[in-house]
Amino acid sequence: MKQRNAKNTITLNLIVVAVFFAVLIVIKETGIIASSTLLILQYIGIYSIFALGINMVNGYLGVFSLSHAGFMAIGAYSAALSTRYFFMAEWMFPVALIFGGAVAMLVGLLVAIPSFKAKGDYLAIITLGFSLIVQSILQNVRFVGASKGMNNIAKYTNIYWVFAFLLLAIFIVSRFVNSKYGRSLKAIREDQTASMLVSVDVRRNKTIAFGVSAFLIGISGGLISHLLGYTSPSAYGFTNIVDGLVMVYLGGMGSILGSIFGAATWQALVQLLKDLGTWRWVVGGGLLCLIMVIRPKGIFGYMEIKDLIRTAKERLNDRKQGGNTNE
Amino acid sequence: MSNGNVISLKDVSMHFGGIKAIDGLSFDVAKGKIFGIIGPNGAGKTTVFNVITGMYIPTAGEIYFKDKKLNKMMPHAISGNGIGRTFQNIRLFEDQTVLDNLKIAHYSHTDYGLLDVFFSTGKFREEEARIEDESREILSFLELEDLANQKAGALPCGAQRRVEIARALYCKPEVILLDEPAAGMNPAEIDNLNQLIVNIRDHYELTILVVEHQMRLVMGICEEILVVNFGKKLALHKHEEIKSNPAVLEAYLGKAKQL
Repeated sequence: MKQRNAKNTITLNLIVVAVFFAVLIVIKETGIIASSTLLILQYIGIYSIFALGINMVNGYLGVFSLSHAGFMAIGAYSAALSTRYFFMAEWMFPVALIFGGAVAMLVGLLVAIPSFKAKGDYLAIITLGFSLIVQSILQNVRFVGASKGMNNIAKYTNIYWVFAFLLLAIFIVSRFVNSKYGRSLKAIREDQTASMLVSVDVRRNKTIAFGVSAFLIGISGGLISHLLGYTSPSAYGFTNIVDGLVMVYLGGMGSILGSIFGAATWQALVQLLKDLGTWRWVVGGGLLCLIMVIRPKGIFGYMEIKDLIRTAKERLNDRKQGGNTNE
Repeated sequence: MSNGNVISLKDVSMHFGGIKAIDGLSFDVAKGKIFGIIGPNGAGKTTVFNVITGMYIPTAGEIYFKDKKLNKMMPHAISGNGIGRTFQNIRLFEDQTVLDNLKIAHYSHTDYGLLDVFFSTGKFREEEARIEDESREILSFLELEDLANQKAGALPCGAQRRVEIARALYCKPEVILLDEPAAGMNPAEIDNLNQLIVNIRDHYELTILVVEHQMRLVMGICEEILVVNFGKKLALHKHEEIKSNPAVLEAYLGKAKQL
């Protein structure tokens, strides 16, 4: 019975993926939508991966970290360097992306160490320091173009790679969250001491969370540098840190749906409000304030599609029962 | 070293600056016993639990769990090795369901790695199915099966205490430390709890240490009672002896008034 269920879900997932890519192919090859819209879709995909990575640490693990700009920079630069020197052929692009992710992951494992002891504001400052260190190293290393950054990066990123890697990221996060590791992260978020005393290895789980998070963020970095064809240290400063936080806190903490929704909304908003010039930050920031007041955990905080369906069903049932008692 | 004792403390001291929370305390707990620790507030009872579970590293002395020395082990390793506990001020994972609270506690006995998770191997699915079944079994033993999918934080206090015991049980322990399990309960509830603790001990073949103020529980089920005051051992008795010890009565119930 259980076996069959598992098989059914796999086939269902495959069908969804196939339909999804069919739609993508139609959109891209027939040119029904403008190339600028296509570009926005790619941004949304890339920043969804970014937000999923951030959510791993800031949402599921519940640690306020600002290291994502550093991880993204590392991913972007290592992937760009690898397509320049090792994986030059276009078909090797996914290898280069995973290489970028892996380098970011290795660094992520180190960044996890201060999170064992430091908490809250202190850890935020430590991780901010990390992001700034990465940025200033990149600004000073001639080999990667110093503050001018790297130009003429092969533009390998297209909408297929973006969404293929987004699906991979969703797959990784959803598998992870529904395992003992995901459960442990939620436990650590709620009560670190109590988790230790029910045998959860806090250090190991924090390290794993930072590793997976950095891996995903690194991949998003690789995608963005190969989308634009250039990358420079200035792209991984405060704006990037704030962008990442906004997407995660807007969409929802500890939620896959929320990460994607947050990335999509924020990217769409940034593009739509382009005509407003500087005023878009006022509109965007105001919206963020509003959402934080109304829904402090983000729009889909700690909720997935199945939770939404369940609550909707419960409400419907309540209403039915309410109707019956009135009769 | 163990001599059939499950927990042994040898001259354990725990000092916080100038405060001696525990001061040269020694005692042994034999397998299968329900062992009570009583004493006035601030006597160091909960600190004893905290040094056993590794939350504090004792200033001096040695702590043994069977043959293992616990002094420098990490808390998660100690609980993974077979010492479960509950807390005085209930510490459940309130936003998680009751079922998930139990599953979390099975971490160190869950036998799969990250690769099993990502590739959803047979091992992963079997383990998850086993964990689901076993945690429901424990819940039904504690008559909590109806609450399995409720958020732990939404439950009334009594149910929360039981969930906490269930969670400690799913660490697969040999010893359980209960920190004031009867706080705020009325006599009838305490009688139920007494029955539950004895049942758990018999069913899961455990050794139980309990810190408690409620004499109804202590006198009801504890087979041995350690009395501590100012971090020192005042007396160690079979439970029928304790009522007649004047030093205990003075420390615990106050000096008798001279009329």
